[in-house]
Amino acid sequence: MSVFIDRDDTILIQGITGSEGSFWTRHMIELGTTVVVGVTPGKEGQSVEGIPVYHSVRRAVAAHPANAAMIFVPPRFTKDAVFEALDSGIRKIVTIAEGIPLHECLEIRAAARDRGARVVGGNTSGVISPGRAMMGMFPYWIERVYKPGRIGIMTRSGSLTNEVTAMVVAAGFGVSSLIGVGGDSVPGTRFAELLPDFQADTGTDAVVIIGELGGTMEEEVAEAMEARRFNKPLVAFLGGRNAPKGRRMGHAGAIVTGGKGTVEGKTATLRKAGALVAARPREVGSLLFELLGRNPGSKA
Amino acid sequence: MKLHEHEAKEVFAKAGIPVPRSFLALDAAAASQAATTIGFPCVLKSQVLMGGRGKAGLIRLVKDAPAAQEAALELFASPHGVHKLLVEEAVAIEREIYLSITVDPVAAEAVVLACAQGGVEIEELAATAPEKIFRESVSLSEGFLPFRARNLCMSLGLSGDLAKQAAAILDALWKCFRANDAELVEINPLFVTKSGTLIAGDGKLLIDDSSLFRQAGREAGRDYYDSDAAFEAAKEGIPYLQFDGDISLMCAGAGLTTVVYDLIVDEGGTVANYLEFGGPNYRKAVRAMELCLKNDPKVILIVTFGTIARADVMAEGITDAIARLKPKCPIIPCIRGTGEDKAVEMLRAAGLEPLFDTEEAVRKAVALAKGGYR
Repeated sequence: MSVFIDRDDTILIQGITGSEGSFWTRHMIELGTTVVVGVTPGKEGQSVEGIPVYHSVRRAVAAHPANAAMIFVPPRFTKDAVFEALDSGIRKIVTIAEGIPLHECLEIRAAARDRGARVVGGNTSGVISPGRAMMGMFPYWIERVYKPGRIGIMTRSGSLTNEVTAMVVAAGFGVSSLIGVGGDSVPGTRFAELLPDFQADTGTDAVVIIGELGGTMEEEVAEAMEARRFNKPLVAFLGGRNAPKGRRMGHAGAIVTGGKGTVEGKTATLRKAGALVAARPREVGSLLFELLGRNPGSKA
Repeated sequence: MKLHEHEAKEVFAKAGIPVPRSFLALDAAAASQAATTIGFPCVLKSQVLMGGRGKAGLIRLVKDAPAAQEAALELFASPHGVHKLLVEEAVAIEREIYLSITVDPVAAEAVVLACAQGGVEIEELAATAPEKIFRESVSLSEGFLPFRARNLCMSLGLSGDLAKQAAAILDALWKCFRANDAELVEINPLFVTKSGTLIAGDGKLLIDDSSLFRQAGREAGRDYYDSDAAFEAAKEGIPYLQFDGDISLMCAGAGLTTVVYDLIVDEGGTVANYLEFGGPNYRKAVRAMELCLKNDPKVILIVTFGTIARADVMAEGITDAIARLKPKCPIIPCIRGTGEDKAVEMLRAAGLEPLFDTEEAVRKAVALAKGGYR
């Protein structure tokens, strides 16, 4: 039971020979992820953590079929890497780089949509189903954050994920799947597009979204709830409640323009749709407890 | 990166969009001379990045040389930090139009917006009279095809030669949008002159920061930042925002730093600066603390929950920074994540009291700042 990734997914790693690529490949494997092949142009014949490396995605998947691609390449090469994976028929892609050019973010999202693929990122730590598998960079060994359980988490922020998830775990819960959609203004996949997966996942009892000022992703979640496309309990925590107008708070997507994208507005819209909105990270845990009581799936 | 009006208009003019005749003046004498050259009436436009320049009195219509001289002196002396004036011919206006191109993150397309009523605050209009705004969604792979320009011209009620001019401007504006990796290009207002020509009254161009590496010659100088510290931080690649409160933030991660800001305000505290030293900057603790100390803060609050940015490496940097910079204000560390046990040891050895709870750290920082320490 998990969303986006599980142990039966076969992963190809683009940029596997880089320092980040090789470091996190090791940890993905250690967690139980099925990594089958790697790609770094010019480095065919090498291996990383026992995983064979090929020049191109086409050559890699011909020898070792993969259904998902994890991309560890710098932002300016990300579009090329995503399109290369799509070209080889891969339909599940995670890309972590921060700083992908805006117009290329549009092209990546449009290409994924046109091919029926899902691209998560950029500017994210990736996706993890604790205790099962991950595509990305999560310190799953920190037990007070990455504890397996039955709460689904979607987030726009890596640093805030640790902060909020620790509160979920402290309240006696654990995580089914955690998906970092990323902090960019044009992410490849949006919160609401993942809700049907969490709805269908029998391992998820409730969903926490970690949002922030700017954009409309939180409003789209409210819309999905209003339309009954998602009806499990949902708790939101939103950063930037007191952020001054017109200032970009860290993430490219975190800015209020022309009065749109305020946390105040998002909070009201979510509440109207039936979501609970936490004012502080700690409250995420207590609101979940209120909604669910003690987590039945908790192994604690 | 937001360009100044004169830079945006330069880009527009090169793409073939008509702009008023103008000179850029760096002092009042040059402005007066430019005004005389252009002829009267003309307009003195302060080149600052803030919105609402007209309402703030930073744009002046002048009728003769003495008035130009006087207005220029006043504008250069304004508290808004005016260093450049665009001296522009005054155009005889029949009416005004609005045009812009921006991105639609949901549809993954660009969107061209047009409105027959220029000079408006478009977000306001979108809220009150959305039917007055016409839009064409454009996929980047398809590009801006002529039929979209024709559609918009018909919606705007333009025909004949005006429609031809508008279509050419829309096409040029699209090219500016794509070639400059823009988040936004906007002509507001686009003047329809009494002689039946179109000319860009204002110009706005926001370049996507992640694309600056391939925008040759575009480097944000000091006048793109609101403080020296913000400019210096940007040169180091350290995300920084200047405020004028008591508590300096030295945190890791955009989301967490933003929430720490929220919590401080909730507790009744004030922020001196927002600063992220996580991500690629987690070895830059000394530089980060130096920037914080420029604000003479009452407290430095350090909150991290690092993944790749290891807690022990950050703690090492912080103790090193304290040894080198000897800050007089108290420092509150709340450093968690990979390597936190080692981090705690190092912080204690340096005489700091590490905390593990963000809210507790914030409360302590606010209490110390209010206690009038020092």
